[in-house]
Amino acid sequence: MQRTDEQLLLTRRYFFGKASAGLGIAALAGLLKQDLHAESALPGLPHFAPRAKRIIYLFQSGGPSQMELFDYKPKLKDLEKTELPDSVRMGQRLTGMTSTQTSFPVAPSLFQFKQYGRSGTWVSELMPNLANVADELCFVKSMYTEAINHDPAVTFFQTGFQLAGRPSIGAWLSYGLGSENQELPAFVVMISQGSGNPNDQPLADRQWGSGFLPTKYQGVKFRSLGDPVLYLSDPAGFDRAQRRRFIDDLSKMNQLELDEFGDPEIATRIAQYEMAYKMQTSVPELTDLSGEPPRTFELYGPDARKPGTFAANCLLARRLAERGVRFVQLFHRGWDQHTNLPKQIAGQAKDTDQACAGLIQDLKERGLLNDTMVVWGGEFGRTVYCQGKLTADNYGRDHHPRCFTMWLAGGGVKSGLTYGETDDYCYNIVKDPVHVHDLHATILHCLGIDHTKLTYKFQGRAFRLTDVNGNVVRDLLA
Amino acid sequence: MRRCLACLGALASIALAATPPATVEFNRDIRPILSDRCYACHGPDQASRKSKLRLDIEAGAKADLGGHFGIVPGDPSKSEVVKRITADETRRMPPAWAGAARLSDRQIDLLTRWIALGAVWQKHWSFIPPVRPTLPQVSDSHWAKNAIDSFVLARLDREGLKPLPEADRFTLIRRVTLDLTGLPPTPAEVRAFVDDSSADAYEKVVDRLLASPRYGERMAMRWLDAARYADTNGYQTDGERSMWRWRDWVIDAFNHNMPFDHFTVEQIAGDMLPGATLQQVLATGFNRNHRGNGEGGIIPAEYAVEYVVDRVETTSAVWLGVTLGCARCHDHKYDPFKQKEFYQVFAYFNNIPERGKAFKYGNSPPLIHAPTAGQENRLKELDLKLAAGERHMAEIEPGIAKAQRAWEKSLVKTPDPALTPALANDWASARAIAVYLPLNGDLRGEIHRDPPRSDKYTYLMENGPVVVQKPPPEVFEPLWKDGAGQYGEGHIGQAGAFDGKRFVDVGNVANFGFYDSFTLAAWIYPTLPTGAIVSRAEDENEGQGFGLYLKDGHLQANLVQRWLDDGARVESKGTIELNRWSHVTVTYDGSRVASGIRIYLNGDPLELDTHLDDLNQSFDAKQPLRIGAGLGPRNRFHGWIDEVRIYRMALTPEESAVLAVPASVNQLARLAPAKRTPPQAAKLRWCFLDRYAPAALRDGWQQLLDLRGDRVGLVESFPTVMVMQENPIARETHVLLRGAYDRPGDTVLPSVPAILPPLPEGAPNNRLGFAKWLVDPANPLPARVTMNRFWQMYFGTGLVKTVEDFGSQGEWPANPDLLDWLATEFIRTGWNVKAMQKTMVMSATYRQSSKVTPELLQRDPENRLLARGPRFRLSAGELRDQALAVSGLLVEKIGGPSVKPYQPPGLWKELTGGEDYIPDQGEGLHRRSLYTFWKRTAPPPMMMNFDAAGRETCVVRELRTNTPLQALDLMNDVTFLEAARALAVRMIREGGTTEAERIAYGFSLATARPPKSRESNILLSSLHYYRDTSQTDPELAAYTTVASLILNLDVTVTKE
Repeated sequence: MQRTDEQLLLTRRYFFGKASAGLGIAALAGLLKQDLHAESALPGLPHFAPRAKRIIYLFQSGGPSQMELFDYKPKLKDLEKTELPDSVRMGQRLTGMTSTQTSFPVAPSLFQFKQYGRSGTWVSELMPNLANVADELCFVKSMYTEAINHDPAVTFFQTGFQLAGRPSIGAWLSYGLGSENQELPAFVVMISQGSGNPNDQPLADRQWGSGFLPTKYQGVKFRSLGDPVLYLSDPAGFDRAQRRRFIDDLSKMNQLELDEFGDPEIATRIAQYEMAYKMQTSVPELTDLSGEPPRTFELYGPDARKPGTFAANCLLARRLAERGVRFVQLFHRGWDQHTNLPKQIAGQAKDTDQACAGLIQDLKERGLLNDTMVVWGGEFGRTVYCQGKLTADNYGRDHHPRCFTMWLAGGGVKSGLTYGETDDYCYNIVKDPVHVHDLHATILHCLGIDHTKLTYKFQGRAFRLTDVNGNVVRDLLA
Repeated sequence: MRRCLACLGALASIALAATPPATVEFNRDIRPILSDRCYACHGPDQASRKSKLRLDIEAGAKADLGGHFGIVPGDPSKSEVVKRITADETRRMPPAWAGAARLSDRQIDLLTRWIALGAVWQKHWSFIPPVRPTLPQVSDSHWAKNAIDSFVLARLDREGLKPLPEADRFTLIRRVTLDLTGLPPTPAEVRAFVDDSSADAYEKVVDRLLASPRYGERMAMRWLDAARYADTNGYQTDGERSMWRWRDWVIDAFNHNMPFDHFTVEQIAGDMLPGATLQQVLATGFNRNHRGNGEGGIIPAEYAVEYVVDRVETTSAVWLGVTLGCARCHDHKYDPFKQKEFYQVFAYFNNIPERGKAFKYGNSPPLIHAPTAGQENRLKELDLKLAAGERHMAEIEPGIAKAQRAWEKSLVKTPDPALTPALANDWASARAIAVYLPLNGDLRGEIHRDPPRSDKYTYLMENGPVVVQKPPPEVFEPLWKDGAGQYGEGHIGQAGAFDGKRFVDVGNVANFGFYDSFTLAAWIYPTLPTGAIVSRAEDENEGQGFGLYLKDGHLQANLVQRWLDDGARVESKGTIELNRWSHVTVTYDGSRVASGIRIYLNGDPLELDTHLDDLNQSFDAKQPLRIGAGLGPRNRFHGWIDEVRIYRMALTPEESAVLAVPASVNQLARLAPAKRTPPQAAKLRWCFLDRYAPAALRDGWQQLLDLRGDRVGLVESFPTVMVMQENPIARETHVLLRGAYDRPGDTVLPSVPAILPPLPEGAPNNRLGFAKWLVDPANPLPARVTMNRFWQMYFGTGLVKTVEDFGSQGEWPANPDLLDWLATEFIRTGWNVKAMQKTMVMSATYRQSSKVTPELLQRDPENRLLARGPRFRLSAGELRDQALAVSGLLVEKIGGPSVKPYQPPGLWKELTGGEDYIPDQGEGLHRRSLYTFWKRTAPPPMMMNFDAAGRETCVVRELRTNTPLQALDLMNDVTFLEAARALAVRMIREGGTTEAERIAYGFSLATARPPKSRESNILLSSLHYYRDTSQTDPELAAYTTVASLILNLDVTVTKE
């Protein structure tokens, strides 16, 4: 559903044309409020009653190995060092890194698995805390994607298309649903560096960009270094009263301009400065963890006290969710284990395990898990065959788009469910495949959006997140 | 922001007309409805057509479909189309089940009336060549200053609107100065214009601005957005590239007012012009500005397709204003472009000798060295000197020959012990030597960490002549490892004995990277066919680094970052003989490709097999240089190695041959001159000139060698630029099914789309012909599309708002006659770009006041009718440049490598984990924004905050939002704070003595007008407040804050 120009332009312009003549600044600012970060939902949205109001998406950048974490494959032990049969590989294209390899020996996981909870979910010893909340999670072991390299694969997950240029999922949501909080952006991004592979898979700002949507829908990065939001802090020695006066004088000056020129852009600008002023208070309040009780840090772990860690970002994600921020996306880098997988993945798991579990627990305790959906996953999985040298205690794995595991939790999804199955080699899906477009369609569905109807016209065509594909995976829905 | 939201629909112009038009015109009124609501199923795309009915062509719409007709001209009631759009929910079109809404009553009325009036069809407007319209009659011929105004006024007359009077002079000079140069006018320029009472005062300003070199910078900024220009390669690693020479070409072309047809042909196919100049080849960088993927695991064929697709999409958006890319996977859904036609255009751009896998860092071939003017001058100077030096040597040749003969005779009589191989002391060039190890019974030798190529070094041996050394060699202590050193009889003196275990660790020297040219050479006596000769590589199987190896008897040279997919590996076709002495040399020229490696055996170049040619990043390994080892313990050398020489330059074939001459100089002297081979003769001659000739001769020779070295060094220092180039044999192009690189369909030949005119008479059917076709006056699109984009620069919105789409889904022009007049005028003036800018800014339309009444705002919110002047926020670059200019910080200098101004720390690092952004110091902080370093995955945040194009792909539409993040940026960005402080200092120093004067000065610097008294009062009161509340240096603090306030004013950030 897309607004028509008549709605957009005439009503609002007409309104401001009148308004500028008679109303004061404050009133104008109030009336303009919905224009700020992202306005209210598009007309007709949500399309039906949502099960989730917001998303916390824990993006595990680099491609976590499904075999070490969640997809238990006991038979691999017997197949250790045997060649991956062609009947399994079925001509699957390989990345240029291993396509010239002459041998594809099977590398079983070094890590032990156990069943947890009422659901009896298999989880690896690398994720002991997460295992304790397994009954809250919904595992999809049959995810697959089309890209085999990081940049196109992350771009595909973020925008539904492998090449740059389209809006990210967060941008679609802030465009479609707007924000519940007028003092914070609708789409917030936080990045952390994992202890696994420090030198690979860079990210790009466009991964949370707005593509062809107006730039106000792009994700706003909350940073641990310097200002949490770029340019938020006033210069040293400039106090709040001085900034208040600055905004007031600026508004007076701009009001004179508005009186003379009558351009509603001026009214918007006046309101935006007011909004900026409010953000200077609301954002530091948000990032100030001093009021959090000790229990919080027990949940998320001691890392949560260190700004910029995944754990600290998880805690901030909860605080953002509490304040109604529509889409919070964390990117945790370092999951690209081409070599030295056992050591690296243990580090990555340690970075994230407790914080993920803590986040789920915390949301639940605060009653937020009902209408907050949590998504965990990377851009693809990893190969069962070894990249590089296979030894008794060391191996690597290449990118694998054909199957990998993600998990969801909270608003709208079935808890304690394990969905989809892969073959004994963890190479192909044998049951209930879920494509990236299907995942997108399902996430949108939980937010009350028909993914075929959230469109935007660009270059003459109505674009959508799921391109021309995507099916809601109803089996995942609560 | 609301402007952008308004860009959503393509049908906005329909909304402009409050009352239905009296006549119905297919292109204006009907096609947009059919296209938007019907073509997806009844349009050009055969595959998705849902019934026999098609509405994109007249014959289809009026065809007999078995007793019923889609459209019956003159009879709406018999027309199936009318029946269906008005039918009940179960039968109506577009169908409810597909989620489509019913047509509006207005749309139904238009369609019905159009059919009733005879359903007159038209070819899509933009595909009909523009015809120069006659000037319309207008109500007020005095108002009109040129043809533009007649067309605008005619439209306003129809709408019953009146244009506004000319803006005041302050406003006008600021508007036109910002528009033509991207910078604000100075107070003196404002004063001069305000005081100029001559009739052509304004025109003089316009002419001055068009002549300013800032004009080229301003025009280039938008062109860079369209050309997706950036300083990095994009995709995952996003390593640096160097395309700034192309950027400077663009600035220069605009400043020299290169006609747009030349500007086009040179950028699309300058390399194919007969006798193409460096500048013309350089221009083709336009279509190499697309991103290049160097990620480790990519499948090159996939990206090779993406690059060509990008060229087609960009070229068609910029020149044709059509979304040809929509026909990549299937026939176009709305416009008459078949999928096959997409690949026919694709074929023009598919014949480039490029790799799908780009270099991670740096420019990817094809590329050229593109010296700057200064470098070209230096090269000319050097060439003159070189020529003089060569001439001099030729002139004195008889003398040299005579002196040499005498010397040779003396050698025959008394051999010089310094030139006797038995003493390990024969002659070889020592120029640019990095390592020399004679292995003459010990590990003494000569090692330079970083020898400049043009400096002379000679090694100091017991018996040799002493030549001054500069700089003194660093002390390195090579060591035998894995066994004690042993020596035996060598080729020259003694040689190192290698037993498959021990090797020489030379230390951290010869640290060459993939841009460095170098040479490895040695005498070897192998006893087994496999083993490392010289390497600087990891000592493990398939390790990283470079080296020369024996592999099953073949000589193999290896430059490796990652063994299987990131390296260059060549191997001799033939094998080397075991158990005898051979001289081996490998040279690498820094080109990063396998063809840049040569291997010589006993001075003869070998035929090589290329095993890998996929180097895409540097191969420096944190390893020592090793002799006899590299790539693992099982790869150690068996036999003897002697006389290891490593040069920090690629020896020429001649030099390589001389180095391999086995005979010593003493022996050669005995050989009759006629019997000497050329390398033998050269060895003697070079040795003589190097050491034994009279001092004057020696100096002349050294100077000549220095000049040659300088020349090579200079050429290597030239910036490169990626350019277009044609394969000699055309690559086959296929239709790609569903657009997928691995699903080739039918073969296609290059061709232009059938809906457009054919190639001009005599034009070749290749990229050059295509370029000429783009600017053939018969082509209906490029002149319109280009003028529309220029119009957008001045008025904020194009006459066709969808500047990238002139197809069915694009907007009907707000003023079609005006657009056609501009297009035909553009061609008539010989594609004169400056003349057209002048015509636009000279118009009364442009010069109008921008004040708007609520009534007009309601009537024409986006100013499409142009009953007022343009008013919109400055672009990101203009905002920053203005702040730098009014504060006096701006460093004006045209061109050069991109610079790194302030940016909050950590932005690169947090995305990549690698190096962070390091701002420049000095002038790089204050250059104009078009020189700001553009990293695609982490673009400059200020630029992105203010809606700059992302430079990933072509962007031609200008967008403007209005957000709180922009407010924070203008208030707190270091660039703007620094500018505020500098502006404050200017206010205090230059503004006068009173507070009011100083404030007025600051205000007028930023806005080009004096403040009104109410404005002045607010600012004064503000000044007092900050003086009273600031702790340190309250005077400066107060002025700085007021300056910041001025820089944040709507009137400052807006083109009024």
